[in-house]
Amino acid sequence: MTSGKRDLVILLVLVLAMATVPAFVGTRYIITTLTLFFIWTIVVTQWNLVLGVAGIFSLAQMALFAVGAYGTAMLGYYFGMTMPPAMLLAALATVLVSLVVGLACLRLAGPYVALLTLAIAQMLYLLVVNDTACFTNPPSGCMPFFGGVRGFSRFGDLGFRDLLGSKWYVGHYYIGLVLLALAVAFTILIFHGPLGLAFRALRDNPGYAIARGVGRLKYQLWVFGLSAFFTGLAGAFYAVQFGVVGPIVFSVSMLLFLLAMIVVGGIGTIWGPLLGAALLTLADETMREFGDYRDLGLGLMLALFVILLPRGLAGVRGLQRPQG
Amino acid sequence: MSLLELRGIQAGYGAQMVLRGLSLDMAQGEFAALIGPNGHGKTTLLRSISGLVRARAGQMRYMGQDIGAMRPDQIVAAGIIHVPQGDLLFPEMTVLDNLRMGAYLPAAAAEEAARLEEVYALLPKLRDRRLQIASTLSGGERRMVGIGRGLMAGGGLLMLDEPSLGLAPIVIDQIYAVIARLRESGRSVLVVEENASRIAEYADRLHLLDNGTFVWSGGGAEFLAQPEILATYLGG
Amino acid sequence: MDVAIQIVASGLTLGAMYAISTVGLALVYGALNMLNMAHGAILALGGYVCYQVMAAMGLPAPLGVLAAMVVCGAVGVLIYHLAARPMLRSQNFETQIFIATIGIGAILQDLILRAFGPQPKPQPLALSGALNVGGVAVPYQNLLILAVALVMMAAMAWLLGRTRTGRAIRATAQNRDAAQLMGVRIGRVYAQVLALSGALAGLSGILLSSISGLLPTMGSDPMLKAFVICVVAGLGQVQGAAIAALVLGLLEALIQYLFGVQYAFAILLMLVIGVLIWRPFGIFGRRQVVRL
Repeated sequence: MTSGKRDLVILLVLVLAMATVPAFVGTRYIITTLTLFFIWTIVVTQWNLVLGVAGIFSLAQMALFAVGAYGTAMLGYYFGMTMPPAMLLAALATVLVSLVVGLACLRLAGPYVALLTLAIAQMLYLLVVNDTACFTNPPSGCMPFFGGVRGFSRFGDLGFRDLLGSKWYVGHYYIGLVLLALAVAFTILIFHGPLGLAFRALRDNPGYAIARGVGRLKYQLWVFGLSAFFTGLAGAFYAVQFGVVGPIVFSVSMLLFLLAMIVVGGIGTIWGPLLGAALLTLADETMREFGDYRDLGLGLMLALFVILLPRGLAGVRGLQRPQG
Repeated sequence: MSLLELRGIQAGYGAQMVLRGLSLDMAQGEFAALIGPNGHGKTTLLRSISGLVRARAGQMRYMGQDIGAMRPDQIVAAGIIHVPQGDLLFPEMTVLDNLRMGAYLPAAAAEEAARLEEVYALLPKLRDRRLQIASTLSGGERRMVGIGRGLMAGGGLLMLDEPSLGLAPIVIDQIYAVIARLRESGRSVLVVEENASRIAEYADRLHLLDNGTFVWSGGGAEFLAQPEILATYLGG
Repeated sequence: MDVAIQIVASGLTLGAMYAISTVGLALVYGALNMLNMAHGAILALGGYVCYQVMAAMGLPAPLGVLAAMVVCGAVGVLIYHLAARPMLRSQNFETQIFIATIGIGAILQDLILRAFGPQPKPQPLALSGALNVGGVAVPYQNLLILAVALVMMAAMAWLLGRTRTGRAIRATAQNRDAAQLMGVRIGRVYAQVLALSGALAGLSGILLSSISGLLPTMGSDPMLKAFVICVVAGLGQVQGAAIAALVLGLLEALIQYLFGVQYAFAILLMLVIGVLIWRPFGIFGRRQVVRL
């Protein structure tokens, strides 16, 4: 069995195991926490593809996530669109935005990419927050085009409240699980497919790979765009899961949280980011009473892992098999 | 006592071993040359001696002093001057500033003015070019600056890495004129050179490096008298 | 005419503040290819140390400035020894140090928040009054900032151009291996550069907070601007960064006047993105030779 198939089988087993959870656990808190875990896992696996596999040091991941979330909310709010098509459309819009960002950034050297994508994310944030002119005037008060600091709410949902009543969150759980399965399957395919091979060739021996005609920009743009689809979809699902979208998705705290998942788990590995997402979600939930120390803890974790264990937990012996 | 004494040096990059346990002795005032095919460790050996590459095993002594654990700046201070391959000038500085960087350490800085005159005497072109920015020089001029900068440091052992590499024949002749002058001055020199037959005319001893170890060592005349060495290791 | 004087005055003030912190970032990138994401937190730290010395301990302003620069310089050295040095030899140094300093910045900012609280505070080091220039009142505070920036620039030019330490820094930035072969102890150069950059950040933080007040998060926007300026100039270009800082400061003041304060940064960023598409290595930057 090839390692790609093995990874897919592992994924299938994990997903089937997770699918049985609602049968045993009825607590709403656990189910919604797991749903949120699915969302973050999708985001970090896609980010990891961009960072660790394609070697694009992009910090625009949360901005892309925001495009998906805001797109869904705005399509629902302004056009009254039902959620499933709105989510799909928002995900496609995310791909479009990512391609624009990619074309602007990808010709640049690594550190320039990081700074520029960070600047783009910040620019979007400032546009959302600083735009105070009223676009519409609903009864609840002035509504700027991008929702301003309050953001959007009551833009529609997936209809599970009518279908399942008070158990609506279980519906969301399964939607999240399906999206997660698709996103991780996609990363496995990329990792083991021709694109992944091309990137490892580029990473390990750029001169040889370029000499053999591996066009870096073209592959990077592919991965950037495709991963943006799942990132946008995760953002869209986040919007319907919470029913609220606000500028908090741009916050530094959020960026730290997600970056820490990848760094702790192991950048550039398939299962590392999943492991990191699970550990950090668990830590975040169990240590809620220390919420005050969240940023401090995340900062410490980032710094310590990069300094002492740069390959993350998945890089620790045994857990890793030779790459190739 | 040897000037330079290497025992069982192993070094490499990442998982790739380049030097597989080699030993070398150099006497005071000796002009030695490292020859051998490309990619077999000559440059790596010089870089391990000057501390840019950390040797993984073996001992290195210079004038009886253990230099194996020293930082590059300490090794320079001890007196080993390395003129690296590909010049490695400071591209945005003038020729003069590049030369003055050669005398960066306090001991050399004290003699900067006198050394500068010596360098200008040996390489007169540098005096004309002294206010030119290094990145605008021709390849031959850059090489001269690199050598001049090394001489500015003084030091007890001068290591030159492929001083004639990639230059036009007429410029190579100029470089060899400088090599001849260095030979006459009685300095201790360790030079890496591709053109084995040509350097053999100057060198007291030649060391042939192949696949990370020395396969032959001997005098210059001895080497020239044994054409089969050339044929075996250097492809004629 | 009045408007023009006002725009130039506030633009130069902005540019001068940016220049002080940007030059430090450019130095650090030039010497060790390190983007210091903790820079924003160090800016804030400088402002708060000065506040603490002046407002809480009642000491005179020069001591406040000195203390801020010393503390921030020390933080720079600490970052070198704890974070940068252990990973210097790593292949992914640039990425790793970037992530590590994001973490360090978060830690530092959180510590400031804990020590001083989230409420805005005024910076005690501030001049009142204004100078009349052609009928326009230019605050003394702005003039002070300009003067400090000019002195700093002159001091940096002297340090880099005329001193042994400066020669070692320039040599290290231009060719790391060659600098070592000249006997430059590059580890020490790295620590010096980070100390210098930290001290400049501290100073810049005091000046920034003298205009907009102290907040634990006050450093993040100026840091991003400083990076943007570095990127426009070409990473590691120290003189270019100073020029770009002044130009972008003027431009920002102009945009603020024409389009309103809330759009200034967004428009500035769009311009920068345009510049980078036009010249991917910055205006003053050179294409790096990639050795394979």
